[in-house]
Amino acid sequence: MTSADVARSTLVVAVVLVVQHTLLDSVRAGGAHPDMMLLLPVMAGYAAGPDRGAVFGFVTGLVADLFLPTPFGLSALIGCLLGFVTGLATRGLVRSSWWLPPVVAVAATAAGMGAYAILGAVLGDPAMLRAYLAPALAVGAPSAALLAIPVLRMVAWAVPPPGPAHGHGAQMGGALR
Amino acid sequence: MPRRTRRTRRARRGMTIALLVVASITIITLDYRGQAHGVISWAKRGAHDAFSPVQHAVDDVVRPVGSFLSGAVHAGDLENQNAKLRRQLGALQRQALSRQALQNAVRSLDRLDALPWTGGIPTVVAQVTALSPSDFTATVELDKGSRQGVAVGMPVVGGAGLVGQVIEVWSSGCTVRLVTDVRSSVGVRFGPGDDLALVQGSGLGRDLAVNLVAPGVPLHTGEVLTTSGLQHAQFPPDIPVARVRSVSSTPSATQETVTAQPLADLDVLTYVDVLQWQSGS
Repeated sequence: MTSADVARSTLVVAVVLVVQHTLLDSVRAGGAHPDMMLLLPVMAGYAAGPDRGAVFGFVTGLVADLFLPTPFGLSALIGCLLGFVTGLATRGLVRSSWWLPPVVAVAATAAGMGAYAILGAVLGDPAMLRAYLAPALAVGAPSAALLAIPVLRMVAWAVPPPGPAHGHGAQMGGALR
Repeated sequence: MPRRTRRTRRARRGMTIALLVVASITIITLDYRGQAHGVISWAKRGAHDAFSPVQHAVDDVVRPVGSFLSGAVHAGDLENQNAKLRRQLGALQRQALSRQALQNAVRSLDRLDALPWTGGIPTVVAQVTALSPSDFTATVELDKGSRQGVAVGMPVVGGAGLVGQVIEVWSSGCTVRLVTDVRSSVGVRFGPGDDLALVQGSGLGRDLAVNLVAPGVPLHTGEVLTTSGLQHAQFPPDIPVARVRSVSSTPSATQETVTAQPLADLDVLTYVDVLQWQSGS
């Protein structure tokens, strides 16, 4: 990654953080709200492949952890796994369909929230699984579908794919432009 | 693509994810065992302090736009006025409800020759700036922090009763765990016999669970539960916490099944009081 890529990534993470904390945190149903920070690694994996998705997910997760009262490092772990797995799972897909990013976003967000709650429970906080997961999924998954395209546009601008061999960015860009 | 190049790329990819997972698990472990607590708290405080001005500035722009879009030209002023009135009403309700606690206290005086005392605790008035940033906790953020004398562990009251407890502080703000959070538990007393129980959160928007109520203990719907203030308690005595909503029991149960509704209206919190009181003080 070049220094320009790093600057663009920093800007995207900062913008999403501000949008999350000033707007999306207030949009509530059943105590849960849309989670744009969780979408960043998903869309990074989709746009730039597993390696960059994992690194981007780790960094965005650490940033998210700074503002969360949950165990520190949990979002970083989930972020890098989400970026990596999404990159691996979607690299063979043809990206001409407009509906593919929303579908990937919903599936990955649901998986990420489930893993987050399970790991939280393992770390001694069973309430994350017992009380909070259902409303988080009910709100987080549908909102991920709505937010997928704008987040993908931002991430694709910030985190380009490593080379022509991966072809993610070119294909993804073609689907969006 | 040559097979060797592909293998090298796969190995590098495996190495990247392995390193990131190990790094994440190391951070989680250090935080869990408290070994990096100082560094993590310092980083969190720094992040909050750096981000708060940006958040407030964007909030100032976004809130009026939202109010305008909702069709209320003077909605901002009305909201502020409404919030202040709600706070005053809450204080009056708290006074009225604490009378019930006072009656219990007078009865206790006869027996114990001691009066639970909560008056004179200094307070910091704070405004709720944000709701929980995580879907997995029930918290709010306030605009007063260590600069104004707020510290971890301090109780927060608002509306007609207890709101929660401060769990994180930075210089210009703090995070409060609400009484509805599943990790929250508050020791309470009730009734003429000053019976004790434990009120636990069940998640945002849900009733509280009242535990450790033995079968046959006289507890009625509508009764107000107040903080117990026992030695080493997390809260000072006689703060109204919740009103009993339902009481039921089964023949073989070892305790009554009791639910209660928080007295503070946690859905419309705007202004709250942070009590500058800490356990053991």
